[in-house]
Amino acid sequence: MRRLRPLLALLLAPALVGCFASGGGSDAASGAEDGSRLRVALAFPPAENLSPYGADSTTLTRLGVIEGLTTLDANGAAAPALAASWRRENDRTWLFTLREATFQDGSAVTPAAVANALTHATKAKPAPAALSGVTLTAKAEGATGVRITTGRSDPVLPLRLSSPALAVLSAKAYGSNGKVDPVGTATGPFELTKVMGATAATLDRYDDYWGGRAQAPGIDVKFVADGTARANALRTDQVDLAEAIPVAQAATLDKAGREATATTRTTSLLLNTEKSVFKDAALRAAARQAVDTSALAKGVYEGYADAGAGIYGPAVTWAAGKRTEPVGRAKAAEPDGTRITLATYDNRPELPEAAQVLKQQLEKAGFDVALEVREYSRLESDALDGRFDAFVLARNTLVDTGDPVSVLASDYTCDGGYNIAQLCDKDVDRAVARAEDTADTAERQDAAMAAEARILGTDAVVPLVHQRIITGVGTTVRGALLDPYERTLVGTGTRR
Amino acid sequence: MRNQAVTLLWRAGIAAALVCAIGVLPWLSHTDPALTVLKARSADRDPTPEVLADIRDRLGLDHGPFQLLAEWLGGLWRGDAGRSWLSGSEVTPAVLQALGVSLLLMAVALLAAAVTAALICARTLWLGARRRLDGRRTSGSASAVLAALPEFLTASVLATVVGVQLGWLPALGWYGPQWTVLPALALGLPAGAVLGRLLDDLLPGAFAEPWALAATARGLPGHAVARQALRRCLPGLLPNTGLFVVGITGGSVTVEQIFDIPGLGRTTLQAALAQDLPVLQAGTLALILLAAVAAGTARLLARLLIGPALRDGALPSLHRPTPPAHRILPFAYSGLLTAVIALGLPRDPLALDTTERLASPTWTHPFGTDALGRDVLARVAHGALDTLLLAAAITAVTLLTGVLLGLLPRLSGALVDTVTALPPVLVALLVTAVVGSGDGTPALAVAAVAWAPLAAHTSALLRQERAALHLTATRALGAGPWYLLRHELLPAVLPPVTRHALLRLPGIALALASLAFLGLGAQPPSPEWGLLLAENQPYAERAPWAVLAPAAVLALLGALAVTAAGGVRRGRRRRGRTEPAPPMPESPSHTRELVATR
Repeated sequence: MRRLRPLLALLLAPALVGCFASGGGSDAASGAEDGSRLRVALAFPPAENLSPYGADSTTLTRLGVIEGLTTLDANGAAAPALAASWRRENDRTWLFTLREATFQDGSAVTPAAVANALTHATKAKPAPAALSGVTLTAKAEGATGVRITTGRSDPVLPLRLSSPALAVLSAKAYGSNGKVDPVGTATGPFELTKVMGATAATLDRYDDYWGGRAQAPGIDVKFVADGTARANALRTDQVDLAEAIPVAQAATLDKAGREATATTRTTSLLLNTEKSVFKDAALRAAARQAVDTSALAKGVYEGYADAGAGIYGPAVTWAAGKRTEPVGRAKAAEPDGTRITLATYDNRPELPEAAQVLKQQLEKAGFDVALEVREYSRLESDALDGRFDAFVLARNTLVDTGDPVSVLASDYTCDGGYNIAQLCDKDVDRAVARAEDTADTAERQDAAMAAEARILGTDAVVPLVHQRIITGVGTTVRGALLDPYERTLVGTGTRR
Repeated sequence: MRNQAVTLLWRAGIAAALVCAIGVLPWLSHTDPALTVLKARSADRDPTPEVLADIRDRLGLDHGPFQLLAEWLGGLWRGDAGRSWLSGSEVTPAVLQALGVSLLLMAVALLAAAVTAALICARTLWLGARRRLDGRRTSGSASAVLAALPEFLTASVLATVVGVQLGWLPALGWYGPQWTVLPALALGLPAGAVLGRLLDDLLPGAFAEPWALAATARGLPGHAVARQALRRCLPGLLPNTGLFVVGITGGSVTVEQIFDIPGLGRTTLQAALAQDLPVLQAGTLALILLAAVAAGTARLLARLLIGPALRDGALPSLHRPTPPAHRILPFAYSGLLTAVIALGLPRDPLALDTTERLASPTWTHPFGTDALGRDVLARVAHGALDTLLLAAAITAVTLLTGVLLGLLPRLSGALVDTVTALPPVLVALLVTAVVGSGDGTPALAVAAVAWAPLAAHTSALLRQERAALHLTATRALGAGPWYLLRHELLPAVLPPVTRHALLRLPGIALALASLAFLGLGAQPPSPEWGLLLAENQPYAERAPWAVLAPAAVLALLGALAVTAAGGVRRGRRRRGRTEPAPPMPESPSHTRELVATR
């Protein structure tokens, strides 16, 4: 037995090595001349093997891997990306002119490749969020053109094409069984080289990127789900960039090391307009008046949020200038100790705290509040069925397309798929429909704001705060791309 | 041999029943898997009917649970545990890799526990080898306090202080040996404290046996005697260690989260929440197998260590000389606890003031304030009654179940391992699916796990007791089995198991709070202790007092239970003295703590 021990140890050693997680490109990081690879901690581990059709697509755009035909500019308008320009030929047809670019596998970005990529996206099951309720066909047109025809008139098609889910990958990426593999097949400044399950990934610079060579030679990504752990990773200099630092941990970082960016995420109080207490518009008005949003922004979010102004927050830059007074608000009534249930979820740690503050504010106004806090997936179906009187929800208001109207349609119209407030109001439906049909960007924004005023007038929703997202940035890092749509993080100019 | 075959069949039956139960879980609990899968993939996605229909179609949910289950089981023969509903990748390699990580973590934690235990009993070993143990009090409260600390607290403190502020060891990740130290310590310290206490209680009994005296008289060196005493006591610890091993492999979710370790605990938790059934089934099966292997290994080791003696029935049950019981300490602890509660009760536990958030302790707020500016002292005091009453009620129920099932060791043996191995969240989901989410559900979910260590303890005591001489004598006098049970066995078994159950009280309070996120149990703003710990955890570094206060009262409760348990023992001893021979066997464990549920 004793003689066997060294042998046993030899046998055990590789088994033990198999029990550790493979580090994100640790060999490349140890190279002395390659000291400036970026190390990034991301919050959401890939759920679907980095398939571009789900939420993982945002991870890919944040790392500068994939691109679509268009992108969003700072004002939320469509800007050129792989398409250099576009024009609307008629109601249902658009012609996009491609720029000269190559895929990371060396092949050229041809109209046929683009049409192929878009066709695959339309056939994906379940359909990508940006394509829900939309049919489109893409055909190659000449040497540089792609003609896209939509089933119905779609005035926001260029915005829609900026969605990460409609990224263009080379033909090699699309497997026979519907799987899509973005490793080495995209067009962005960084190329995925290795994906270690849901724990890490490595990326190298793609030298032939059309927009110029990136400054960082590569990226080592770690997926760290726990917010405290991400903050710790940054503090111990294990990473250079850590996204989505929880408010509770922000104070542990140096002031220089935390960047707060206003996001399009609005936390609001949704009141159930269909059942029991808040069927009464006067009581909804009483609840709205009871809420003090600045106490939430300062006390719960420690200033990493702006007090609620409307459905769209300050990150939607054009909204504040076009906002009009809410239309048709009811006069508040006395709640007289009416009992209500207020539900929220604990996946975002600030929400239960906000709900407790709300509870106190509502009770001061005369409601009797019972809280219900669960994990989100255990709560959603009950919320959609209207089982709660009130619900605190953090919602991205420019959802997947960057179009401001789609969130109004899904959340506040009779046919909306995510109508937690159970709102069904003729005036609101009409105003939203008008906005949906408006093509011109500025007019569409005006119509969206008119619909917002209508919705706020029903008091079905009380905007509480507009969240800011905190990104931990290492002291030596320059040029991190922090945008309100949470679609970018690392770009060609990011380095350390 | 036949017995073993029956046990094996029973084990397989339990495993099969569990896998089937998981397979029909969503249909029992009326939670649509398509919805939970969608939300796990992308939280922002609207659950429109078309999207859900697509997912249902992809996963084949319309075929119903039984066909899905049959397909999954069909693939299992070839080592193919299907594809994850979430990511679509193969389950077998993913679960095996997570299991490997968890096993390594468990092994290092076991090592840390062994070192901790060794430090705790070093003094007893040292004194025992020199035969100077007589009448010394065993180290008491310190290890009980260590054992009652919630593991997330040890983990956050280690990560922040050692990992971040001192920078001695990496604070997160799982890339090599130095990454294992902190998580292993977080898991191993409390468990080692329990095991150490257990061993420390057994050792004096071994040193008091005639062979030890003879060996010393013969001139054997002290360290040789100590080694034999250890060997004599270790088998008594093995069942406990086995439970510890299986418990932390699937149940150390918090530590895995804080240190970002890709282990089986997180994998099964995510799968349970998303209702990713193939992963959940495979993970559960792996854990059940591990439980069986651990139980088998424990038995094998026991046979290796003291095999011949067991076979010959030449092993008298261990008993220790009566230790002097604590007289003052229990009163001091309960006095302190009462004082804290009395001081806090007049204060308002719900009054929010966000301008006063995370304030340090002052005269107005002696324990400081929490993240919403509430007075921590008031919350601790107001939470005490709810917490203690509910935990006490659950303890009573588990004691009853544990003893009853412990009387049937062949039935409960496999159940104990299996229940311990299951991730707590899975047990809660199963219980909720069966009885619905009513007021009693959380208590039931906790009780469904908490009886296991008590049953194991009862069986272990019974085995020893049955071999005792006075039983043979009573039997020879014509006593029937019922008489033996009522007048001899139960009186010997109940007191130590009751002490054990008392020791688990703090653990039960913590377990109750850990179910809150499923919508079970106390909801904020209730000041229930477990909830207090959970809601203040993110602020542990900025406002340590908000976590330390509830942790301290829990630890105080643990220390109170240990020292008061000494009182129970004393009463028992007096009765034992009326019987001349042999002395009542001392329990192998009255500190068999919450290891199992951790």
